[in-house]
Order: sequence, then C-alpha cells, then structure tokens
Amino acid sequence: MAGNGCSLCERPAVIRLFDPERRLCADHLLADCAERVDDALKGRIAPGDRVAVGLSGGKDSRLLLILLHRLLASSEGVHLVAITIDEGIAGYREETMEAAAELTSRLGVEHRVLSFSDLFGADLDALLTNRVEQGCTVCGVLRRRALEVGAADADATVIATGHNLDDEAQSVLMNLLRGDLPRMVLDTSGGLPECFIPRIKPLSVLSEKEITVCLMMMGEFVDLPECPYAGGALRGEVREILADLEFMYPGTMRRLISSRDQVRDIVGKKKKRGDLFGLPGAWENRYIFRNNDR
Amino acid sequence: MQVILPDRSVRVLPPDPVRIEDLVISLGFLPTGVIVTRNGIIVPEDEEAGGDDELRIIRVSHGG
Repeated sequence: MAGNGCSLCERPAVIRLFDPERRLCADHLLADCAERVDDALKGRIAPGDRVAVGLSGGKDSRLLLILLHRLLASSEGVHLVAITIDEGIAGYREETMEAAAELTSRLGVEHRVLSFSDLFGADLDALLTNRVEQGCTVCGVLRRRALEVGAADADATVIATGHNLDDEAQSVLMNLLRGDLPRMVLDTSGGLPECFIPRIKPLSVLSEKEITVCLMMMGEFVDLPECPYAGGALRGEVREILADLEFMYPGTMRRLISSRDQVRDIVGKKKKRGDLFGLPGAWENRYIFRNNDR
Repeated sequence: MQVILPDRSVRVLPPDPVRIEDLVISLGFLPTGVIVTRNGIIVPEDEEAGGDDELRIIRVSHGG
C-alpha cells in the first residue's frame, strides 16, 4: 500500500496524478491545477480584454469562472462576462441556471442569459421533436452560435469555454473516426477576421476527474442532474475507449491532443485556414437546417 | 465494509483489506472515471479499505 501522504507535504493525499507521478493533498492539487491553467492562459489574454465565459452552471464552467476570476484578478483592465445559454430543456436546465446565477452573484461577475427561444424561435425540446438521437449535435451547434452572439453583444474580445482534457481528446478521436481531418485541425484560438471571436479552452489541461476533485475541495461542487439528451452514441463509445486507454497508459489523452496540435502546426504552415474550410460554421448551419426541414 | 455505488445502491463486502483500485475495477468502474471517498474523505485509489470502512464511488463523467 502506498503511503497516505502528499508528495509535497505531510498532509493526506486526495488524488494520484501521473506524468510525473505524484500524490497531492487538496491544497497542492488546487495549486497544481491553477498553475497549469495559468500557463495555458499565457499569451491568450491581454490587458483590456473582455472575456466572455461560457457558463452552463455545470462543473467545468464553474471551475473555469472561479479560476479565471482568481487568476485574472491582478490583470489590469481585464473584464469577465459570464454568458449562460438557456437551451430550453425542461426538468434539467432550471437547476443549472440557478447554480450559474448564484455563482456569478457571489463572485460579482456580470451575467447575461440568452435563450434558444429568443435566438432561434424555439427551445431545444421543440427542435428535437422526432430527432432526439441528434440532441447533442443540434444543441452543440446552436449553443456555439448562441455563445458567439452573446459574446458579440457583450463586446467580448475573447471567448473562454470549459472544455476539459477528456472533452478535447474525445473530439480528436471522434474527428479521426469520422475521417474529418479539416474539423480536427480547425483552430479557433486565434479567431478569424470578421467571423470569430478568438476562443480559448483554459481547462483543456485538466482532466474531468481533476476538475471534480478541485471543486469538491473548494466546497464548490454542485451535484447537478445529467442532461437528458447526453450520451450521443459515438461520443459515449469514444469516452469509454479513451478512459480505458488512459487507465492502462496514463497520458494517452494528453498525447492525443499533442498529436492534433502537431498536425495543426504542419497544416497551418501550408495553407490558410479559410482556404481549407470555407466560412466556419457554414456546414453546421446547413446540417441543422437541412434536418429541420425533414 | 460498505460500498455506496453511483446509483446510490449499497453493497456490503467482507472486511478484509483490499486495494481501492482493485475494488473499483471489480465493481465495473474505471478509476479514471470515478472519485472514491473513504468514510467521507476523498482518497487516491492506490490506498486500501477494509473493516468497517464506508466507501462511496462517485462518477465524474456527466453529459451536458
């Protein structure tokens, strides 16, 4: 049996991490995670930026807002605006909306709420009539669009989302499995002139497990219900596969993302993004509205 | 020893000491996807449990 202590102090460990292998107590885990997120933010946010934080109210976006609020507190002229998208999912969204409102109120962060009904004329429940199995796809596309609208309305110069390491690794593998290399290498972190506000994913250096433990240690974990539309077939399968691989070969997810970044670098040097993909979001909009006509 | 699963069902197991990671796997979970508390305190899965310990397995992966 391993010793119970933190690798850095005498206090009891709460988590074992790899690469490098270490056991950390609550305080050292929080410091370790904050440092990694701070590193991920370097060069991404400048004085005067208005950062729109996508805040669903779930665990990832909660930690994102809390860390950005702390890490950017000393940054001159950086303003945070939390944007919550109300997709209109009966029996699920109410609790997460309340959690988002409570957090922003407590942190003193400006909070804006946009709804699918206002933006697209119908809530998600209505949009998914007879196509429930496409829930995550439809919601994902519309939510990204809604966040862009909300960020633009808030005069944001950067959008920060709570995608974690697991999300990112799953997306890389899903894009590979679909044979969608253009989507895999699409990098929106720099934005595109007159199309995108640059997007950053500061939590993509933290695993879902690290995020959950951090929130629990902070007393900020809220046990919220699972989205009734969650569990798209491919993402569910990919999640299982990657979780297996990560357990057997720690660091698998990080290496997968690193591989994607290397391909991005190579492609980025060879071709302008616009040449490769056309207008961002165009195919998604076609997909959504084509299927709505069925 | 008592184990509370993510669906809140309860398993009662023999008190013999067991590595938590092995126990989690034997119950059908991957340690990368869960958090385990022992008597209310989060512990790494390379530690042991036994006797009258109460373990709770919390799933970290949620959609939405």
